[in-house]
Amino acid sequence: MANEPIVDVELLRSEVSAHYAEVAHDPHGEFHFHTGRTATTRLGYDDALLDGFPDACVEAFAGVANPFSFGVPASGEHVVDVGSGGGLDALIAARAVGGDGAVIGVDMTADMRRRATENAAAAGLDNVEFRDGLAEDLPVDDGWADVVISNGVLNLVPDKVAAYEEIRRVLRPGGRIQIADVCVEREVPDDAKRDIDLWKG
Amino acid sequence: MIEGVGLVDLRFGEPIDTYGGAPGEGNARTFGVHGYAFTAVNPG
Repeated sequence: MANEPIVDVELLRSEVSAHYAEVAHDPHGEFHFHTGRTATTRLGYDDALLDGFPDACVEAFAGVANPFSFGVPASGEHVVDVGSGGGLDALIAARAVGGDGAVIGVDMTADMRRRATENAAAAGLDNVEFRDGLAEDLPVDDGWADVVISNGVLNLVPDKVAAYEEIRRVLRPGGRIQIADVCVEREVPDDAKRDIDLWKG
Repeated sequence: MIEGVGLVDLRFGEPIDTYGGAPGEGNARTFGVHGYAFTAVNPG
């Protein structure tokens, strides 16, 4: 059974998608979060993970921590990136898994998928694809993934339990998550939980 | 929530001041928001 949403789900998705479409179009604009190399440096991405990627691949990055702090995927592994955005984490994973592996990025924002696809081509990676979809309904077969990554996305998902159930569904037995997200350390009042502007930042 | 869906061996990395110096820093400070990486395993 779906969990009762505290906000208008369609409105939230629309607002989030519009917000990240702005990032896709103008990653150097002013947002409530850091983007690009400012963000990767702040979050502790090893320079070696980014070496060789054109600047365009990094510009629209808007992560909140570093899922690769637990290591990069191994050669030949299958990886799903939930909310792949501009695609940087998916590209890092694609380079790590190599030609015997594969990466599926899933994102609901068409402009981000377009940018991520262009970035994959610019990086010369053909083992990664970007699919339209929601975290709560991943377009990925049962048990396909060795690893599920995500960065700064699940906090924006209205039904987080459904999203984690989907993540478990697409993981093979023994597969793992390596997720980066934000956590609040103080109680958020109910009126703030209903404020979509605060969901976005 | 993560363990509630059946994932196990949940481990968290160190907190990161994700929004420090960004325009969203004010809200982040209000609610004590930090970035974390975490990992867990699907036992099958």
